[in-house]
Amino acid sequence: MLGQSIRNLEADSLARVALANNAEELEAARIAAFGRKEGAFQQIAKEMSKLAPDERKHIGMLLNAAKQAVETALECRKQRFAQAALAARLDAEWLDLTLPAPGPRRGHLHPLTQIQRELEELFLSLGFAVLDGPEVETEYHNFDALNIPADHPARDAQDTFWLKDGFLLRTHTSPVQVRGMEKLGPPLRMVAPGRVFRNESVDASHEHTFYQLEGMMIDRDVSVAHLIYFMKTLSTSIFGRDVPVRLRPGYFPFVEPGFELDIQCLICGGAGCAVCKQSGWVELLGCGLVNPNVLRLSGIDPEEWSGFAFGLGLTRLVMMRYGIDDIRLLQGGDLRFLEQF
Amino acid sequence: MKFSYNWLRELVPGLASAPGELAQLITMKTAECEGIEAAGVLLDQVCAARVESVEPLPNSHNVKATVDAGPHGHITVVCGAPNCRAGSVAAYAPVGRKVVQGIESDGMLASGAELGINRDHAGILELVEPVGSPITGCAPDSIIEIDNKSITHRPDLWGHLGMAREVAAIVRQALSPPEVRALSASHGSSPIRIVIEDEQLCPRYSALVFENVTVKPSPLWLQYRLTAIGLNPINNIVDMTNYLMAELAQPMHAFDADLLRGGAIFVRPARRGEQFRALNEEEYTLEPSNLVIADAAGAIGLAGVIGGMDSKISEKTTRVVLESANFLASSVRKTSAALKLRTDASMRFEKSQDPANTVRALARAVDLLEELSPGIRVVGMADQQREIPPRPPIELPLAWLERKLGRAVPPAEVRDILQRLEFGVEEQSGGVFSVTVPSWRATKDVTIKDDLAEEVGRMIGYGAIPPRAPLFPATVPPANPERRFQHEARELFTGLGFTEVYNYSFVSEESVRAFGLDPVSYVRVANPIASDQALLRTSLVPGIRRNIVDNQKHRDAFRLFEIGLEIHKREAGLPDEIPHLAAAIYDRYGDGIAGLFEIKRAAECFMPGAKVCPAEAGPEQARPYEHPARAADIIWMGERTGRLFELHPTLLEVGRAAILDLDLRVIERITSRRLKYGTQYAPIRRYPSSAFDLSVIAGERELAGTLETRIAGFAGELVESIAFLRQYSGPPLAPGQKSVSFRVTAGSPERTLSSEEVSEIRQRIIEGMRGLGYDLRL
Repeated sequence: MLGQSIRNLEADSLARVALANNAEELEAARIAAFGRKEGAFQQIAKEMSKLAPDERKHIGMLLNAAKQAVETALECRKQRFAQAALAARLDAEWLDLTLPAPGPRRGHLHPLTQIQRELEELFLSLGFAVLDGPEVETEYHNFDALNIPADHPARDAQDTFWLKDGFLLRTHTSPVQVRGMEKLGPPLRMVAPGRVFRNESVDASHEHTFYQLEGMMIDRDVSVAHLIYFMKTLSTSIFGRDVPVRLRPGYFPFVEPGFELDIQCLICGGAGCAVCKQSGWVELLGCGLVNPNVLRLSGIDPEEWSGFAFGLGLTRLVMMRYGIDDIRLLQGGDLRFLEQF
Repeated sequence: MKFSYNWLRELVPGLASAPGELAQLITMKTAECEGIEAAGVLLDQVCAARVESVEPLPNSHNVKATVDAGPHGHITVVCGAPNCRAGSVAAYAPVGRKVVQGIESDGMLASGAELGINRDHAGILELVEPVGSPITGCAPDSIIEIDNKSITHRPDLWGHLGMAREVAAIVRQALSPPEVRALSASHGSSPIRIVIEDEQLCPRYSALVFENVTVKPSPLWLQYRLTAIGLNPINNIVDMTNYLMAELAQPMHAFDADLLRGGAIFVRPARRGEQFRALNEEEYTLEPSNLVIADAAGAIGLAGVIGGMDSKISEKTTRVVLESANFLASSVRKTSAALKLRTDASMRFEKSQDPANTVRALARAVDLLEELSPGIRVVGMADQQREIPPRPPIELPLAWLERKLGRAVPPAEVRDILQRLEFGVEEQSGGVFSVTVPSWRATKDVTIKDDLAEEVGRMIGYGAIPPRAPLFPATVPPANPERRFQHEARELFTGLGFTEVYNYSFVSEESVRAFGLDPVSYVRVANPIASDQALLRTSLVPGIRRNIVDNQKHRDAFRLFEIGLEIHKREAGLPDEIPHLAAAIYDRYGDGIAGLFEIKRAAECFMPGAKVCPAEAGPEQARPYEHPARAADIIWMGERTGRLFELHPTLLEVGRAAILDLDLRVIERITSRRLKYGTQYAPIRRYPSSAFDLSVIAGERELAGTLETRIAGFAGELVESIAFLRQYSGPPLAPGQKSVSFRVTAGSPERTLSSEEVSEIRQRIIEGMRGLGYDLRL
């Protein structure tokens, strides 16, 4: 009789579990079956105490089997509801990820900064120090110490911005050579990128403010062959490939011999075009072996030491690399321009 | 400087290279060629033609002319020249047929300008050649243009002979210079006295006196040669001086001898205020720093620069004093720069011309004048000069040369190269050449052995030196922490969305005043490019503000920054250059608060733990360009590192800009100190902390930062952190009050705090704050 009740309870409970539409109904079914006080199985368990021991054992087994069947069904059903709930939540949380992310985008480094850093890293890797010098210079550092004669036209007011007390805005980064020699002495390997000034009216291809990179190496027996090696390394690094270069005579008072270094025109590959004025070559930098007077002026014995120096126009280089046709854009602060780099 | 290819070939008869090829060779070995222009392109087709008849055309100044054009036959041309008349011989150019006023015109009768012979457009060129012949001495030419900057150190290359010498050395052909007759002996006693006051300023003054001169136009070959290289034919005497200047680089000047007063020429400094009327018809007031050529009455020439109007050669001239002198380069340059008067002569003298050249030029003048003005007679020559000791030879050790070039050059080749350039070479001892510099290279160009290394290097060609990596010890270069720090700052700010700008170092007085600053405290450029760029910036902010104004035309919101130098005047010595970073967040809309806190966040990312101290809390008053109620110092590690503010609304028409202006020198110093002394590791706390919240009632404008500092004053050492939670104003608070809530966290590295300990801390803070007069909402 009790056995029948158990079988009925099992069937009823399983039916309730199966019919539960949601987690709440399922919980109600669980409480109906297994609730501590009112649960149907609890009621039956109470009745079992009245049975004889051998019958109790039989009924006990029956009861356990029924409980297990209902529990399994409950658990199974519960899992299904949880899965459904999760699936529903996931679906509800659908998001359009093509919407733009809030907040600012990454800003842009100025192209002149980018090229300076590139070259600084190259020369650091070759064992060169990166030095800085002041933008307001003494006449001594900008001219005298570089073997530029007192009456040289570069010192004229039409080329140089003069301040008072013989100070000036440096017209090139070469005074940093002098400061490098004074500070570090030989042997010396250094580069100095920076801002320079010339008293020149501004138009699409002329600026009174532009950027150069100065380089200098002083050691024993530095030769033209060494200079050529470094200049080739430099141009290969700048353009990312082996660009043909040529060295031809050029005159700068602080070097002897002095050279102009041309690279084969990147636009036409040497065939001749408007950019290279049909010559096939474009000027990249001026360089040469350090004039012994320059060494002597900085207290270095030219019989013992020699060196090379070069000056690269960074502004020109940036314009060449990116095809910028108006130099004024570089200091115009126009974000429509700057955000392209 | 323009060089005639034909002229160079006359001086180097063996020259076989075409103009383009020659220009390349010159570029690679001597000086930069900027281009090649064709001159006189029609001249190989032009011939002399007799005008046989002329018929006027109705309603026109043109005439219909029939000409006998020799090999071209009898031809009809329409001609507009006023000098087209029957019987004259003109230059005929067969340039094709075209119909003019209904008449078929076959070719043209050309003017001197059309043919490139001179600049005369007024009429057709009249010839003396027989009909059918080409114009004597006039053939198409190629003009090679050399960049003046590349020959500033080479006085000799300002004339064709000097360039021809280079060309001869490059192509290994003989130089064929014009023969120079001996002058000094054969031309009588000095016809004029030369008085040089300062022989440093004028090392040599030579003059030749001629008589029986006929001033007239030069022959066409001479006019053409001058025109082709950009000089203007004037008359035979002036043209002769220009021709010799273009040949020898020796400027000369011809005076009308009859217009000179007294029998002497003085070379002296100008008297202060001395007046001088130059050939360009300008009147100059001179200074003693200007060297003049003078006669007994006054200045007749500005030494090395320009001649005077009063002694100018004219058609009436019959006697000429021809000056061929040498002047100190710097003196000529100063005068020419001071008077803003650059001439072909001053350009050459500025390069330190060779004093040996003066007499050579006079001798060549005699040759030419005999052709240009037949019947001319030389009266005599005067030649005054300072003793110029020859320079000692330069010792050139060949082993040293090899080390310099990084390549061995055989001694025979070194000798050959130098000798072709007319250096004297003697082998002094084994492996050392003793090299004598020719006079035209000795004025300043070649003085040391390094100069000779250049001569050898350029002639073997630098392409012939293989690149070689040097061998030296590998060492770590000295660091540049300032620059590296600036690059890190750039990375951070671009990462936070700021785009980098570069602004000029110059600012205008107007913009300085607009920023409420005093222009007197600025470093000033004595010769600014424009009056609005006369001051050096002492702040990056005006430039940043300009960027904002410009960019807000295209954008509603943006961020930008600059790293650059502020330049501050100092009592003595070079100005103080302080690297600064200025950043801005602009928004056209809104109340500006978001931008200020966003830029504050950027400052805190850059300087962790930095404090923002507004005017009430710090010593700094707002600057005139700052929004006075939205401006603060930034204090980091106890030092003032910059300013954070909203740009004053009067400086921005639309929108608001939050600005950060940081002193990178201080920040770099603090940063590297932190890096050097580093942070010591503290073990992660093992015991839980306890937290409680407090709300302080304060006046509306009391700073949360101040309240926090005050709370911290009572907190004691067990408090780990005090964090702002929120603030509130409105009911039930009284008007003018706000409630600011903080979360206080306390704990110990050794144990868990008991609830008694925590409430003791809380009580201490509450009582402390109450003691300061604050209400607390608990």
